[in-house]
Amino acid sequence: MSSGKKTIIIRMCLVLLLLVIAVICFITGRGHTVYFDNKAVDFSGETYPAVYKIEVKVNGEKAAKLYEDERGMADTMGQSFSMVVEMTKEKGDEPTAHAVSLSLPYSMDGIILNIPAMMAGLPPEAYLSEFVQAPEPEAEESEEVVTDEFVMEDL
Amino acid sequence: MSVNKQKTAVNAAELIRNNSVPIMFIIICAVCIPLAGFSPSYLFNEIITRIGRNTFLILSLLIPVMAGMGLNFGMTLGAMAGEIGLILVCDWQIVGIPAMILAVIISLPIAVGLGLFCGRILNMARGREMITSYIMSFFINGIYQLVVLYMMGSIIPIKHSNIKLPRGYGIRNTVSLLRMRQKLDKLIPLKLFGADIPVMTFIIIAILCFFIIWFRKTKLGQDMRAVGQDMEVAKDSGINVERTRIISIVISTILADIGMVIYLQNMGNIATYSSHSQIGMFCIAALLVGGASVDRASIGNVFLGVTLFHMMFIVAPAAGARITGDSMIGEYFRVFVSYAVITIALVMYETKKRRARSRVGEQLKLEQGTGEEAA
Repeated sequence: MSSGKKTIIIRMCLVLLLLVIAVICFITGRGHTVYFDNKAVDFSGETYPAVYKIEVKVNGEKAAKLYEDERGMADTMGQSFSMVVEMTKEKGDEPTAHAVSLSLPYSMDGIILNIPAMMAGLPPEAYLSEFVQAPEPEAEESEEVVTDEFVMEDL
Repeated sequence: MSVNKQKTAVNAAELIRNNSVPIMFIIICAVCIPLAGFSPSYLFNEIITRIGRNTFLILSLLIPVMAGMGLNFGMTLGAMAGEIGLILVCDWQIVGIPAMILAVIISLPIAVGLGLFCGRILNMARGREMITSYIMSFFINGIYQLVVLYMMGSIIPIKHSNIKLPRGYGIRNTVSLLRMRQKLDKLIPLKLFGADIPVMTFIIIAILCFFIIWFRKTKLGQDMRAVGQDMEVAKDSGINVERTRIISIVISTILADIGMVIYLQNMGNIATYSSHSQIGMFCIAALLVGGASVDRASIGNVFLGVTLFHMMFIVAPAAGARITGDSMIGEYFRVFVSYAVITIALVMYETKKRRARSRVGEQLKLEQGTGEEAA
């Protein structure tokens, strides 16, 4: 094999390697914000009420402590998400801990998880929804700044 | 004995003359540190952070110096490429270390393209590389602004409103890199004397230092040194001078690109329209403060320069505020000093060159005179 061909092959391999690394980074580095809701949810005509208290731990660290109708959040990287949910149904009850793992949809930046619905064993469409940011208010038109730069008439 | 003493005095004078800029900065720092009143642990922490943040960028200047192209003001081009990569990665919501790697991969072709372009132009402007690269950085800045201010969001898809301007296209003045902030620095956590040591960043800087040392010994590195010493001689000995010079600029631009990504991950945000514009000036000033010149720069100069220059950056405003009661004086002082240092270094380089030239001329004259007398 001529050295010219060898060089081209090495360069192509390097480009390919970079592309593979880029794809891996693109998939594994996707960031999501996961919101945890302790709110009542209606599904198939049935109501699943909020519980007294929920504590969420992500990577061993406390991410949220939610009482009824509260929301917490955590930032995560990649599509697989694991957390430990400690649920106290009524005041004075013993909390029960559950380890939960789920796959997050790539296309969603912010994901809302309704914890009571999830713990009740409902399907993902009942407890998982996209967090949509409120549209920004229309920006006021800024005042035009008049300067004499590039004004040639005065010269 | 007296001859020995005289020789020592001459050597000391020569040493002071050759290292006048670092000596001047050591004196400035020695005066300002007690006036500023910062604790040693605070100063240590700040210096360590700044060494981690800036060293990679400054190291990117060494290879063009080796190839005799002077101080590469065109490193700004690489910095712009890095910023474009980071903006895109930010919009795609990639976070952490993968975001940094992806930003580097995306910006790599841009940096290579800009480096090739810059190298070709500099080959056309031989002998005036520094001013050409400086002006070129303004020209490319115009194109960068066209891309970022008008094409992003309209032609190049940008989805997120926290990056896009409210009018629907163009990028905001500041892009947050909060989910990437100091991820590299804190990858291997280490606390020393109360300061967070960016171990991983230092490892990457060390790898680059070893790369530069190794590169000098390679065929290409030797060619660059030959080109740097004398282009005509290098050409006669069969070296492709133009290609070698272009490669040196391409490598410098790529390193500046990676350096900018490291710099911005430490800062945690991008000042979209101004981050890159000052970076070339400050990196060059830091290198010169370390005792480098237009035709001679080493890794040692980089580390000494980054330490002294940033020490001055930290203590000058506080010292200025203590002396005059106005912190703006200190702010003014550090900006003024960075420009002054570049001017002094360039003047000194030119003076030295002329002195050497006249010395050679005198020697030739003397040799001719003795030859004629002998005849």
